[in-house]
Amino acid sequence: MDVLLKIATLEAAIRLSIPVALAALGALISERTGVLNLGLEGMMLSGAFAGYMANEVTGSPWVGLLAGIVVGCGFGALLALAVVTIRANQVVTGIAFTLLASSGTTYLFQLKYSIGQKPPRVDRLGMPPLVAMTLVCVFALWFLFQRTTIGLAMAATGESPEAADALGYRVVRLRWIAATIGGGLAGLGGAALTCGPLGLFIRDVTAGRGWVALALVVFAGWRPGMAVAGAFLFGLCDASQLRLQGTKTDIPYEVFLALPYLVTLAALVLRARASKTPGALAVPFVRGVH
Amino acid sequence: MSTVAAEQPSTPPGGFIAGVGRRATSGGVVSQIVVPIAAVVAALVVGGVLIALDGTNAFSAYREVLRAVFVGKRGLSDTATAATPLILVGLGYSIAYRARVFTIGGEGQYLIGAIAGTAWVTAGGIRTWPGFPLVVTGLIVAALAGAAWSGVAGWLETRFGANIVISSLMLVYVAGSVLQWAVRTGIRDPDSFVPNSRPLLAAELPRLPGTSTHAGFAIAMFLVPIAAVFMARHRGGFRVMATGFNPNALDANEISKKKIVLLVMVIAGALAGLAGMVETAGSTGRLGAAASVGFGFEAIIVAMVGRLHPIGVAIAALGLAGLTIGFESTQRVLDVPSTLVGVITALIVVFVVIGDALANRGREGR
Repeated sequence: MDVLLKIATLEAAIRLSIPVALAALGALISERTGVLNLGLEGMMLSGAFAGYMANEVTGSPWVGLLAGIVVGCGFGALLALAVVTIRANQVVTGIAFTLLASSGTTYLFQLKYSIGQKPPRVDRLGMPPLVAMTLVCVFALWFLFQRTTIGLAMAATGESPEAADALGYRVVRLRWIAATIGGGLAGLGGAALTCGPLGLFIRDVTAGRGWVALALVVFAGWRPGMAVAGAFLFGLCDASQLRLQGTKTDIPYEVFLALPYLVTLAALVLRARASKTPGALAVPFVRGVH
Repeated sequence: MSTVAAEQPSTPPGGFIAGVGRRATSGGVVSQIVVPIAAVVAALVVGGVLIALDGTNAFSAYREVLRAVFVGKRGLSDTATAATPLILVGLGYSIAYRARVFTIGGEGQYLIGAIAGTAWVTAGGIRTWPGFPLVVTGLIVAALAGAAWSGVAGWLETRFGANIVISSLMLVYVAGSVLQWAVRTGIRDPDSFVPNSRPLLAAELPRLPGTSTHAGFAIAMFLVPIAAVFMARHRGGFRVMATGFNPNALDANEISKKKIVLLVMVIAGALAGLAGMVETAGSTGRLGAAASVGFGFEAIIVAMVGRLHPIGVAIAALGLAGLTIGFESTQRVLDVPSTLVGVITALIVVFVVIGDALANRGREGR
């Protein structure tokens, strides 16, 4: 019985870590090229909403995931327009985007389901395809940054855009691409939440997972494999929190409720100084100024 | 990542921190006022289109908003009440953002302030105190608790380099858990079936004469000029501004930037904690499990649209509160979802941020 319980928790941990892992990979690719995406929570939330809606309409969770990617990419491109091309402050723009996504999804959801009406549960994807998808993404990112010229150019753009520019790489274009892909991954992460473990959408369903993902990227030192490992740590806490809420312990269950966030905070604190921040993170690039 | 927001002196921010940009010329002043007004108008237009798409006449919806706020005695009183927590939290954010310390954890500090203040005024032996000392000590306890909670995020950054944007938000979720525990067991009213604190009774804030607005609004409006004087005339305020300009300049003058970060975090937390207690003692009368209604996030909008200036914050808070009160009525009368307010205000912020960047770009000609 005990063993079964442990396996069940482990499975739940993996399921709950996947959305965070995907969003963290999205944050990672855009931060490696120098674009800080504080709109990540909002992109995840939009992806979660789009995924749920598409899944409900078509009855296919796969279409839901696709919708999450599309909406995430769109949002990512908007972020690129604002912070790369128009050069708006990256911190403030990201926060504003998240606020917009939060109120926007709440509004659209209220339009569809008036208060009191119960939104239906949608078909959920099993664990194997989601795990496979995450592994493909993490491998793709690792391969991109370790084995390809364009990946190297992207990383150079994040470290020293002037140098990348001098070598003939298009800094603005690379940042656009990275922010768009990053948004897509965050949207996919959100959709993987509503079309995966949850099977439903509620107001602010992502519950800070986008911010958790941002913290995990710092924890991971901007390495894809470590980011996924960190996401698993979060998933483990999240799963045990759900499990322990039902059991009777001397510790108040609210401690477990706070646990995933406390662990994330601890991870952020432990690694903040040690990890190697991209040199030009959140710094806009203007040719010929330096 | 640690101090992303603060350590980029070579590339000044967009005009976002209005008035402390490199060129506070007359052109800057114009865009300071033109950008937010244009953003408000644009957001209201988009909101109107959304209302029309939903099948309601946008003009009658906005007319209903105005009617709800300005016709009758209730509307303005309700607006002032709703603006109170936004002003308080928004003032704190505006001071922190001036130093380019981008905390977004006001909601958590608000909750911790409400919990600590409520715990104090409902504690045995204290709850029998007469009203005045009870109210005052309750507010002080709340402000101190909020300051401490916010100070943790500040300390994690100055000591360990943990990004304040993320850590302050993580602490919001932790504070939410503390609230659940507090109303379920910690400070629960033993006579209540649902998780609730004891009623505040004598610790409740009095009404302002002739209105249904509680005295918290007067406290908030009193703090607006104080914050303005602090920022414009006080040495501490000058240092906060200087940190926003160029963090290295302070270090060169042997003023620790870390102290400024802690200072603004503590101020922001104290104001948010105060807001939590003011709302509990002024509006709800007791602390319940649903105390987190998002003032801490709405106040981010208030600070930004108010140009990080105390008077601007008060105006933005009143405007946002008026929209909220108005749309509640619009939902009742015309069945327009009240959550549209959130979309409109978030759009205002997005437009302000982008408008600032465009204005800045135009001014610098690149």
